[in-house]
Amino acid sequence: MNRSEELLKRLPNDIGGQPGAPIQRTEHQYLPWEKRCHALADILDMRKIVSTEEKRRGVESLGAEMIGKLTYYERWVAAFANILFQKGILTPGELAVKMEEVAARHSRGTAA
Amino acid sequence: MHPHDHTPVVAADEAPGYYEIMETAVRELLVAKQVIAAGEIRRHLEVLDSRTPQLGAKLVAKAWVDPEFKKRLLANGRTACEEVGISFYENTELTVLENTEKVHNLIVCTLCSCYPREVLGLPPDWYKLTPYRSRAVKEPRAVLAEFGTVIPDNVEIRVSDSTAMIRYLVLPRRPDGTEKMTEEQLAALVTRDAMIGVVPVEFQKGRVQ
Repeated sequence: MNRSEELLKRLPNDIGGQPGAPIQRTEHQYLPWEKRCHALADILDMRKIVSTEEKRRGVESLGAEMIGKLTYYERWVAAFANILFQKGILTPGELAVKMEEVAARHSRGTAA
Repeated sequence: MHPHDHTPVVAADEAPGYYEIMETAVRELLVAKQVIAAGEIRRHLEVLDSRTPQLGAKLVAKAWVDPEFKKRLLANGRTACEEVGISFYENTELTVLENTEKVHNLIVCTLCSCYPREVLGLPPDWYKLTPYRSRAVKEPRAVLAEFGTVIPDNVEIRVSDSTAMIRYLVLPRRPDGTEKMTEEQLAALVTRDAMIGVVPVEFQKGRVQ
């Protein structure tokens, strides 16, 4: 099977049964923002705004290249933004403005 | 409420990265639009912090000493959890898989990272990474060997692939030599990895921990 057929038949997350590297027993302490991201995911699920399945599809639709480059919660937050745009809950414009505002809080050099 | 502080919702002295900024921005916009409430996130962070493998270990130890509880746990993991005060915040079922002389169970989520978070907390990184997810269903014996676990050929290995709706927890075998131990002492032997199924529960008499 050539590479393009592989990509068509298997979405990026569909890796069960594929060959893989040896297991590295990696662990890390969850960062505060990662935990907040997790809490946000759970709340969005509980409120029936974004289900676990939608979240997974949202991550897959980032595409294999981004999935490979982003960390676990980076993928989640990027997927949430896209899903919330699709649902008309947020717009890309308002997120961009808000992100600038959040970044500016920290670039002022004063801790909250 | 706990008097001590957990993860604060607003934090960080260091400049946050791009995705952290995105998380904050998405959350604040959703709060401003009243899609979610700020307090919900804060309260749920406390719930997440309260979920650790000690909860799963309690279930396992109780199942070891109480055959009737074990029956209920194996019949319906979720209702057995709720019976001992472990609530479910996700809309999921919990299936508890019993290891025996003849069967060794292993859990995985090939598609992503579904995990019995209510009773084990958040999963370790290796559970979410490609090597474990891809190989566990195809060559579980080789994967287990990389965790130092050698399962005899006459023991069947069953790998359960988690879904958004159904989560699994392994009920490990009670080690020999623990017959006189209390439920609390037994619970202290049970590790997260044993409840994922990648290692057995170990007990060596007189071992200094």
